[in-house]
Amino acid sequence: MSKTILNLKDLTIKFGGVTALNNVNLELKEGEILALIGPNGAGKTTVFNLITGVYKPTSGNVFLGDVAIDGKKRHHITKLGIARTFQNIRLFGDMTTLENVITGTDVRNKVGLIGSMFGTPRSRREEKASVVKAHEILKFIGIDEYADRLAKNLPYGVQRRLEIARALGTEPKILLLDEPAAGFNPQEKVELAATIKKIRDAGYTILLIEHDMSLIMGISDRVAVLDFGQKIADDLPSVVQNNPQVIAAYLGVPEDAS
Amino acid sequence: MINLRDKGAEFWERSNRPVRVLTVFAILAVVAALPYAGNTFLQTPVAAFDAVLVYPMGMFILMALGLNVVVGKSGMLDLGYVAFFAVGAYTMAILGTRTGLNTWEIMPIGIAAAMFAGVLLAIPTLRLRGDYLAIVTLGFGEIVRVTALNSEGIGGALGIAGIPFPPGLGFEYQLLDQKFFYWTILVMIVLVIWVIRRLTVRRPGRAWESIRQDEDAAELMGVSTYKYKIWAFVFGAAIGGGAGVFYASRSMVIAPDNFTLNTSILILACVVFGGMGNIWGVIVGATILGYLPDRFRFLSDARLLLFGLVLVVFMNLRPEGILPRKKREKAIVKKGSGASI
Repeated sequence: MSKTILNLKDLTIKFGGVTALNNVNLELKEGEILALIGPNGAGKTTVFNLITGVYKPTSGNVFLGDVAIDGKKRHHITKLGIARTFQNIRLFGDMTTLENVITGTDVRNKVGLIGSMFGTPRSRREEKASVVKAHEILKFIGIDEYADRLAKNLPYGVQRRLEIARALGTEPKILLLDEPAAGFNPQEKVELAATIKKIRDAGYTILLIEHDMSLIMGISDRVAVLDFGQKIADDLPSVVQNNPQVIAAYLGVPEDAS
Repeated sequence: MINLRDKGAEFWERSNRPVRVLTVFAILAVVAALPYAGNTFLQTPVAAFDAVLVYPMGMFILMALGLNVVVGKSGMLDLGYVAFFAVGAYTMAILGTRTGLNTWEIMPIGIAAAMFAGVLLAIPTLRLRGDYLAIVTLGFGEIVRVTALNSEGIGGALGIAGIPFPPGLGFEYQLLDQKFFYWTILVMIVLVIWVIRRLTVRRPGRAWESIRQDEDAAELMGVSTYKYKIWAFVFGAAIGGGAGVFYASRSMVIAPDNFTLNTSILILACVVFGGMGNIWGVIVGATILGYLPDRFRFLSDARLLLFGLVLVVFMNLRPEGILPRKKREKAIVKKGSGASI
């Protein structure tokens, strides 16, 4: 078994009287694709928001390697190596595709405002390197031909892919994908699955929220299921698929059976 | 309406370096020759034309450029920008009348003071967004003015008089012939444009732009939004402070009345009218809004009505300003080439 890279320990978060997540434990192994599924409102995106520092857990911790990252600043967590995409696309629409990715790469750049203002050699070097890197990522994701288009004018599918490219720009260890296939047709889903596998094979660890079962069963190494803020299953896709609790969560239980 | 912004951008992209350099110098030459155009239709009826070029026009351009970094580029509504102008002006007034320092020596001190004021304002307020930020900055602008008004040590309502002119650099700054003031402010404007253009295409520009468009997404993509918001404020404040120092040194006398909310709003109007986020638009906006009231001074009180009317009509015709921000897409992507999604 490869080592654990991200560890959620007894994570609980309450919003007022609502317990959105209750004692959730989740381990992400290096180099795997872990799918997080569950009915609407189960708390999947909340998990992402806790990992990326948008929310602070009411109790419990998030460990990246050995470091607790809950409570750290969001941009700091990104710098530590966690990047995400958004369920509802949140690109910088008035920037070009390339600029969106470069904005992601900036987190690895060292030159700040003063260096940029005086145009130090280092700032020039970094700017040039960022452009090269961004193009590489766009090629890798397969949307480099759109590099100079404004993000808001891109076709929907390209926007979704750009979300992934921008996240990769930050050079993460862990990539969190929040429903990357939402709104895709079957053909596009197949292509996306190939892309996600390709990203994993390039050395990234992926945590994936998705509703499309065929996509999940096809690419994930492990599936964790959330229901009403509780983790009810965490196993191989084939096992989870036949877990009665999971089926019940999705389809409900016949009255005479309960 | 002709799309001047795209035409300009297209020309710039098609030109090679010598053409660009030549264009810049041609424009600079025309602009620098403006004080000699005083006897043409441009003449302002009451104030001397060269004086109008310095204030309000030149000053407005400078301040609008500074405010544009905050409002246009980073998307933070600042209604108290005049406070930084005031800090710069009062630094010049106090040091200029009480110490032996001259304008050029006070300039960096005034800028530093304004930047410090920027940090002071930014640290507690930048956790706020939108309307809330606007209200707090408005309050800050008023606080600075009212503080000056009630501090007898710095002249109270009378302000400070007898502020020295800048020492000439091989020429004399004169009250009746303000060409040298104009050319100095022109140099300042060019310098500011140069710096802003640099920042815009580099990391700080991207950070500001991403903050303006989606602050949460920016933060999650690793942009230290708090830091870059402070930088935007401080950078804008530096420009306002520099303008203030020069303004005080030219006007010889300043009073709290020079730094009312009206000025903040007017500078904001320049930015919005010209085109938020586009430095050329902002310059055009400030030029027009600085010039018009003086050009039509013979209408006396009605000129403000006219001024308002021009604003309303124009903002209806061009809601995004005269030269809007929107960037052109550099290349049209060929259809059906490669990627399927």
